[in-house]
Amino acid sequence: MNLFRHLECFVAVAEESHFGRAAARLSMAQPPLSQRIQRLERELGVRLFERSSRQVTITKAGTLLLDEARELLARSEALMATARRIRDGESGLLRAALPPDIPGETVAAILADFRQRYPGVELELRELSTTEQLAQFASHELDVGLIHHPCDVSGLELGPVLRREVGVLLPRDAPAAALAEVPLAALTGYELILFHRAAAPALHDDVLTTCARNGYSPAAVRHGQGASFVRGLILSAHAVAFSPRDAHPAGAADRDPDVIWRPLAEAPLAWRHSLAWPQGRSDTVVSAFAEAATHTLRNTTAMSADPPPRPLHLRPAAEYWL
Amino acid sequence: MTNTLTRIREAFDGAGVTGRLHALDIDSGAEVGASADHPVVTASVHKLCLLVALHQQAAAGRVDLTEQIECPPAGRTPGPTGLAAMLDPVRMSLRDAAYLMMAVSDNTAADLLLERVGLDAVNHTTARLGLAHTHAVYTFGETFGTIRQDAGPGGPQALTDPYIIARLRALDPVRTNHSTPRDMTRLLAAIWRDEACAPAHAAAIRRLLGLQVWPHRMASGFPFDDVHVAGKTGSLPTVRNEVGVIEYPDGGRYAVAVFTRATNTAATFPPADAVIGTTARIAVEALRAL
Repeated sequence: MNLFRHLECFVAVAEESHFGRAAARLSMAQPPLSQRIQRLERELGVRLFERSSRQVTITKAGTLLLDEARELLARSEALMATARRIRDGESGLLRAALPPDIPGETVAAILADFRQRYPGVELELRELSTTEQLAQFASHELDVGLIHHPCDVSGLELGPVLRREVGVLLPRDAPAAALAEVPLAALTGYELILFHRAAAPALHDDVLTTCARNGYSPAAVRHGQGASFVRGLILSAHAVAFSPRDAHPAGAADRDPDVIWRPLAEAPLAWRHSLAWPQGRSDTVVSAFAEAATHTLRNTTAMSADPPPRPLHLRPAAEYWL
Repeated sequence: MTNTLTRIREAFDGAGVTGRLHALDIDSGAEVGASADHPVVTASVHKLCLLVALHQQAAAGRVDLTEQIECPPAGRTPGPTGLAAMLDPVRMSLRDAAYLMMAVSDNTAADLLLERVGLDAVNHTTARLGLAHTHAVYTFGETFGTIRQDAGPGGPQALTDPYIIARLRALDPVRTNHSTPRDMTRLLAAIWRDEACAPAHAAAIRRLLGLQVWPHRMASGFPFDDVHVAGKTGSLPTVRNEVGVIEYPDGGRYAVAVFTRATNTAATFPPADAVIGTTARIAVEALRAL
């Protein structure tokens, strides 16, 4: 039994003291209205109305229940209205995540853009790695996030892939530092500082494969991520590190006397991101955050769409063919 | 056993895949499982279910496996092997089409047989064998059709784009042909114990599984002349699977099912193929040590 529909009938009959008028008010026929009242009386185990051939009178029990029935109906309407507002993005809570390596200015710009679109929505923004985001998506603790590719995207919906150009940080006195664009092969002889493999195994391997294919096979790979730790290794250990262009805005490059950032020739490396959210759990607010973040990332971090894909030669063991 | 599961998980992580595995000692019933009941996309592994259904119909006298079928060049389900890759009209027996379907995962041969057997019969077969989580909703040609639709105009190259990968119905077990690792080892055990169909037919199925040509997945974990490997692979973008039976010279028989999803979207990605052999070996050695 739909209690709220039945309580609506009860209140209408009580207020009209007449089945015909109550039925007209509810835009329904009289017989089903009578049936609903009888059903409600059976369900509550209480007689609500005395019926005579001419009129309907509310019983004492009915009077005692009427106020609570009205209150319940009012609460139910309020609940529906709130749900509508949340659905339409006028209020609510959005749990969103960004990875740690997004520049502070970008984080601020995303927040500002989103607040302007949805001032009524409370935004709970978290700093989370891709692995942490995937775990929180699975446990329903996160609504939307910016993930690093490659990662396991099963069960997720994605926004377009955003490509973030990666260059190299090297000692200012390294011969390659004199080049406007550094070919990967020119890094031969330098060790490489890279994030821990456990943080993103597929990306870690992808970077090393790309390096090797382009003529750079570092003698050693040291693991580190913190900016000052990486800087220390570059200065002391004859090592280089990869870093996105947006972390080194033009002009700032000249401030560090010892370490310099250079783009890589033909941009062989990139960090690739997407906004992601669990399949089937998107709503207006999630889409708005995804749009705000995509828009801001494109503008402030010079992220671009992926370049046209390279040729793909499917081998027979692939088993599929289009 | 905790150590075994840790090693299996580390191997999957190391290869950059999400992996689900179930291994079963066919004679003792001992098992090793890593997310063994997780729903997985079967892809061409479902050809094994089709083969069992075909042999059940043959055993019941409804199909003659030596019947010759015609396969004109037009309208073939696409694929890189077997009839799917040939250019001229072919005439062959149902059982030879079954050989191509199992040995080289021939998609055209599979859909020819599926046309004869019917999707309902395949599902009836798996249900009767107690594979409650196994179901086929598409033919192989229809599966590729959904991929073409979902991938849009970019062709196969679009299938390395994570945005496209996330949109493919063919990679969502809820919306395409699916099973679980445990269901698949149950099927293999039934075939090896002559319970899936009459002994002569079960032997024919085992023979075809042993004729599969691919060396890069489960077989790579057992590089021994005296160990017999029989299996069926399944692949789609980022999906690499194999289910099979490993037989040791001392009589030990182990059904193993490994289903993986790679984070890397590359079509050629050997670590994901090899880890199927690596984890199958870890699981089988754990079962043999019991």
